[in-house]
Amino acid sequence: MSIILRLTWKELLRKRVLLLTILMTLAFLVAFWFIAAAIGGETEANGGSGAALFEKFSMGLFIVGLGFFFGSFVIAFLSIFSSSSVISGEAEQGIMQAMMPRPVPRWQWYAGRWLGYVTFGLAYALILFSSIMVIAGIHAGVPKNFGALVSAYLLFASVVPLLVSVSMLGSGFFSGIGNGVFMTMLYGGGWLGGMIDKVSSQLGSLNEKVGHSLTTISGLLSLAMPADGIQRAMMDRLYNFSYIQDLFNMGANGGPLPLFGIGSAPAPAFLWYALFYTLAAFLLGMWRFQKKDL
Amino acid sequence: MTAIQTERLTKQYENGRGCRDVSITVQEGEAFGFLGPNGAGKSTFVKMLVGLIFPTEGRASLFGEPVGSIAARRYIGYLPELYRYQEWLTGEEVVRLHARLCGLTRSEAGQRIPRLLDQVGIGLRSRDRVKNYSKGMQQRLGLACALVSDPKILFLDEPSSAMDPIGRSEVRQLLREWKAEGKTIFLNSHLMEDVESICDRVALLNNGEVLQQGRVEDVLRQRPLWRIKVGGFAPSMLDWLREETGLPIRMITAAPDGSAELEAELAHEEQAGWLHALILDLGMTLYESVRTRTRLEEWFVAELTGKSHRGEKE
Repeated sequence: MSIILRLTWKELLRKRVLLLTILMTLAFLVAFWFIAAAIGGETEANGGSGAALFEKFSMGLFIVGLGFFFGSFVIAFLSIFSSSSVISGEAEQGIMQAMMPRPVPRWQWYAGRWLGYVTFGLAYALILFSSIMVIAGIHAGVPKNFGALVSAYLLFASVVPLLVSVSMLGSGFFSGIGNGVFMTMLYGGGWLGGMIDKVSSQLGSLNEKVGHSLTTISGLLSLAMPADGIQRAMMDRLYNFSYIQDLFNMGANGGPLPLFGIGSAPAPAFLWYALFYTLAAFLLGMWRFQKKDL
Repeated sequence: MTAIQTERLTKQYENGRGCRDVSITVQEGEAFGFLGPNGAGKSTFVKMLVGLIFPTEGRASLFGEPVGSIAARRYIGYLPELYRYQEWLTGEEVVRLHARLCGLTRSEAGQRIPRLLDQVGIGLRSRDRVKNYSKGMQQRLGLACALVSDPKILFLDEPSSAMDPIGRSEVRQLLREWKAEGKTIFLNSHLMEDVESICDRVALLNNGEVLQQGRVEDVLRQRPLWRIKVGGFAPSMLDWLREETGLPIRMITAAPDGSAELEAELAHEEQAGWLHALILDLGMTLYESVRTRTRLEEWFVAELTGKSHRGEKE
């Protein structure tokens, strides 16, 4: 299994996936630095009153929310596209036909590939998470609670095994391109569910029936793809929204910043569901690969 | 010892393709040719033996171990028909990867790989990335990968299909060497010359079913052909000979001076004597009569002539 894991890393390095990712991330971080500096500078200019303190907090939240808005997309697409053609693509190309007759159980090959993509994604997620927090911390206030930071990172990064598991499962059924499209749509569906939740929580004028329908749709979409829900849970852990909402009397949508708010914070049961979802996708994918004709 | 044994091995796809009830036995050290037209199901059969696809019915084993099991896979080296290797690795790295997957130690791999790469004709190009290899070079690389674990059975699916005549000749020589080393060779090939010169036994597959199998010399002996060179020939004489004998006789060449070369498929020497007597009775001059050895290609064509084969459909 370790041979396959190392092979996967080597593939990502040789195909310059890592290089391109780092270059694009650096470009984003430079842009993010200037955005954070502009927003942070504006806040500092407004003095040190209670209102200013709240504004500083809001701006910090905005900067971090903006960073993770981008970060969650990057992590998601990196996870999806690095693994979307791992089975069908290699089988179509003929690479797998030479590898699979070797005396290595198929489950080891599958697990090795999975571990390769997941460790790569987790390492990248750590770099991205740290960079966003450092830049936001320099220009505005960010939570310094180590436990909250670790917890938030784990939630942020947990999207990697989730998406890699589903993507590899899909790769056992669909062609590389088909699976890429399927995964993008599925992730988009989950993201849409989160957006509906954020927007509907801000539209107080909606009647109860419409609000209920939107909540149901949002919930179903989040169940179909829990990635966005996990990201919202991450922001909740980082900023302890449920406490702050009462303290500052701000809406669940993040007050004046609905796009980067969290809507309603997912319950702990949702996180257990996401864990089960990941495990189920991983095991189903492995089972499918064990039975697949190559 | 039996190296490969299949009993009614079947793989049926929803589109009707695959192969049915294939039963063969290949002894250790034997070279076995698996022949058939395009789409006959040859590759499907080999893929079942190497554990890439799962049979829908029947059983198969390699040295007594069920196909697809880890124990069975330890015996095999396989060059697929559709051979592609990680193009972002160098040739040497690809072979090293296969060596490690086979459980070779670093020192074993270090000793074996350079020799193997030289043997298959890759040599110094082994340090180039696979993406810079021609198809023929990739096929040579595939042969090195197949051999890296020093397997007891080699499954080779069209092993020189992408090579030039020199490459084909080199592969033929390598096959002879590996056979001499005692390896069991299962050869899927359309190159009848290779099969005829290397294989001890052959099976002919058509539409997923085995039409014939046996020792190469036995299947070739089934069609004893005679070539008869005559003088004073006229086409009407050929018609008369056919009517009189009921034998399949055909004209190969005819010259304006009345000489001609005829070919007849004769069951035994008595028929040959009778035919020769009739030729002389007709007033022709008998210049030469030779019993020719049927080539495997002729046998292949003769066996499939008039039979539908799905490679031609769709």
